[in-house]
Amino acid sequence: MVSPLSLLYYTVHPQELRSIIQWKVWHNPVHERNEREEPESLKRCFFFLDMTSRSFSAVIKELHPELLVPVCLFYLILRGLDTIEDDMTIPLEKKEPILRDFDNIIEKDGWTFNDNGPNEKDRQLLVEFNVVVEHFKKIKPAYQVIIKDITKRMGNGMADYCNNAEFNVNGVDTVADYELYCHYVAGLVGEGCTRLFVEAGLANPALLKRPELMESMGQFLQQVNIIRDIKEDLDDKRRFWPKEIWSKHVTNFEDLFKPENKQLALDCSSEMILTALTRADDCLYYLAGLKEQSVFNFCAIPQSMAVATLDVCFQNHDIFKKNVKITKGAACQLMVESTQNLRLVCDVFKKYVRSIHQKNNPHDPNFLKISIACGKVEQFIESIFPSQEKPKDLKSPATAEAAEKVKLEKQESRWDMIYMGLAVAITLLIITGSMLFVAWMAGARFDIAFTQAKSELGALFGSVQGGIEDVSDASGHSEL
Amino acid sequence: MSSTEAPAPSLGKVLITGGCGFLGSHIVSLVVKRHPQTQIHVLDLRTSNNRHSSPTVSYHDGDITDAAALSAILLKIKPDSVIHTASPHFNLGKELHYQVNVEGTKNMVKAAQDAGVKAFIYTSSASVIYDPDVELNNADETWPMVAGDRQPEYYTSTKVWAETAVLSANRTPATFLTCAIRPAGIIGEGDVQILPKMVTALRKKQTKFQVGDNNNLFDFTYVENIAHGHLLALQALIHTHKILPTIPLDSERVDGEAFFITNGQPTYFWDFARYVWHEAGDTLPLSSVWHLSADFAHVIGAVLEWVFWVMGKTPNLTRQQVKYSTMKKYYSIDKAKRRLGYSPLVDLDEGVRRGVRFILEREAEEQQKKGQ
Repeated sequence: MVSPLSLLYYTVHPQELRSIIQWKVWHNPVHERNEREEPESLKRCFFFLDMTSRSFSAVIKELHPELLVPVCLFYLILRGLDTIEDDMTIPLEKKEPILRDFDNIIEKDGWTFNDNGPNEKDRQLLVEFNVVVEHFKKIKPAYQVIIKDITKRMGNGMADYCNNAEFNVNGVDTVADYELYCHYVAGLVGEGCTRLFVEAGLANPALLKRPELMESMGQFLQQVNIIRDIKEDLDDKRRFWPKEIWSKHVTNFEDLFKPENKQLALDCSSEMILTALTRADDCLYYLAGLKEQSVFNFCAIPQSMAVATLDVCFQNHDIFKKNVKITKGAACQLMVESTQNLRLVCDVFKKYVRSIHQKNNPHDPNFLKISIACGKVEQFIESIFPSQEKPKDLKSPATAEAAEKVKLEKQESRWDMIYMGLAVAITLLIITGSMLFVAWMAGARFDIAFTQAKSELGALFGSVQGGIEDVSDASGHSEL
Repeated sequence: MSSTEAPAPSLGKVLITGGCGFLGSHIVSLVVKRHPQTQIHVLDLRTSNNRHSSPTVSYHDGDITDAAALSAILLKIKPDSVIHTASPHFNLGKELHYQVNVEGTKNMVKAAQDAGVKAFIYTSSASVIYDPDVELNNADETWPMVAGDRQPEYYTSTKVWAETAVLSANRTPATFLTCAIRPAGIIGEGDVQILPKMVTALRKKQTKFQVGDNNNLFDFTYVENIAHGHLLALQALIHTHKILPTIPLDSERVDGEAFFITNGQPTYFWDFARYVWHEAGDTLPLSSVWHLSADFAHVIGAVLEWVFWVMGKTPNLTRQQVKYSTMKKYYSIDKAKRRLGYSPLVDLDEGVRRGVRFILEREAEEQQKKGQ
């Protein structure tokens, strides 16, 4: 399992290894699935969840019991839809009606689909789709309504794209088309999940009044995937980077991958990253509306991964050559930090946004725009978690006259201090003087006292012997 | 951004002081463009520069430190509203700052009150809350102003006192409404402080160094956006005047209030500088830039200051510059967004492009003159 290369990597990056160990040892799921009470067919659903999803199955399985099964089924239904849409071996006239009717199909007892091509990796899910239908009909009607609605809209959106010859040949044209595509495949998922969370009472209903926030949640994840997968998609003959963006940098889409166009390709990728990055602050805003820990984790983990992925892709020409990924250690670190509270997730965003900003190239056509997008995320974080307290009002003088007065007062009080000191010194001087005078009048021998004091001082600092002699001498003299 | 589309109704008679200056002339242009029916009177010390060709603009030479003359001008013009932008250059002496900013502003307020002006907008400065010991992270209008001994820049103190004088005159008499706009880092065509200094640094080949970690966000604002903020404030005061004696809700109030106006696009300090340099023709790759830590640069600055002090000069790197380029200084403009409906008209990158192009054109003209 452990390759020598990764062994070497973690020897040099012990921090990442530490994160992996921390996550594996210390992470306790917020909620755990109760497998013993699940019927066989539901277990099969979770089996499909593990099979079809790499990143989502873990977070879904830790969801609050109220939402565990609905979200799992929601995922499987959309995965089924996606498997039909993706499969190029299914003729369009057969594919389109299924996509458009999928919201009804999920209510048809015993519905299965065997016509996927043999290479479609998730075909088994559709072959046994009856288990999904069986359990979909058992969840709360309110959840069914939401899932059905999203399925209907997504199925129709996908069917529109399948019908669009232009899209199939040339890929996505404008930025608006690109965002519309991301809306169908991800923005709608954001909406569906949000409605499920609110229905279950696990998120703030105000989230439904700010639809752009849930849209951004989906858009951000999808756009980051599209950026990262540029090479993989090219190999699969698919293009999701909109022509409106790449045509500013190169004439033909394929030119992006030519080594001589490295700088142009990087400029193009930063424009794509900029488009995604402008959604980042919305995502943090959305996360602030979640009330329940497992739901928070479910949403926050993918977002943190996305912002970290954006960072590794930024100014990285490798994305045009291979699939660029964050390391396992970094991923574990992100999971640790994304399963606690919003403040830590904000720290994650700040860290990666700053890393992006530090790599920003001053000669990139979108240099300042990227800098501003990073600044916007930082300012948003500052607005919800201020890094400093408002300074205390030290009551600055409100007018020039008042300032002058303050100055004068300060000066005055300084002179007052000086006068006071002088007065005390003079008083002391007079008293001492008069006391000495009275003593002298009364016959005090200051000359003796003076020599004695001198010799005592000498005794203190000089030799002890001499000191004693001096004293006896002085006292003998006084006896005469 | 809709407000730029159709010509908006007349603002009546508007007096703009400093209307031949950098910001003032842009305000004049925006009023002409957006409210073509408005009669504009410009009052400035000298009205020979930046004159607008529109017949709706008339120019008056005058000195706002001369209270009697000022009163006479306002009584003659009888403006409905005043936009008071006049302020001396930052580099001029203390005495002048006090004379113009404090005394001049008080004279303006008095003259406006006497002339029956309805709305009075004062151009303050975002630096009025600047405190050398505090960073400005997303600062808003509830932060205390800093003047007097704690304020290192006397200029800023005079802006604080002028703003206080204007805002405390609000609703005295009850028909006299005032507010203050606090712009941050104004740039654009005709800017004499920020962009020209940065372009000069490029010409002196000083772009190879940068001080600090460059994670400090800074606000700069394109001049037309500031002008836009002034006009929105003016429209709000005119509206409030119409509904007198009703006083708006505290959360909606504009009169007697101060507003930060920025581009709402805080940028990392050195990113801004590098963008300016790039626009002015710099091609230095980021990889060849030397990064100095703030502490190290501070020591060097101190040493240089001493050495140059002995020679009687000012060095290129001073401790103050180190501090300025490594501090955080950005504001929240939520209050202006909510109460004035403000949002910037021109993005910061476009604003910088316009400002730098303006400088390069001047440079080219100079070159041509020399060549002839």
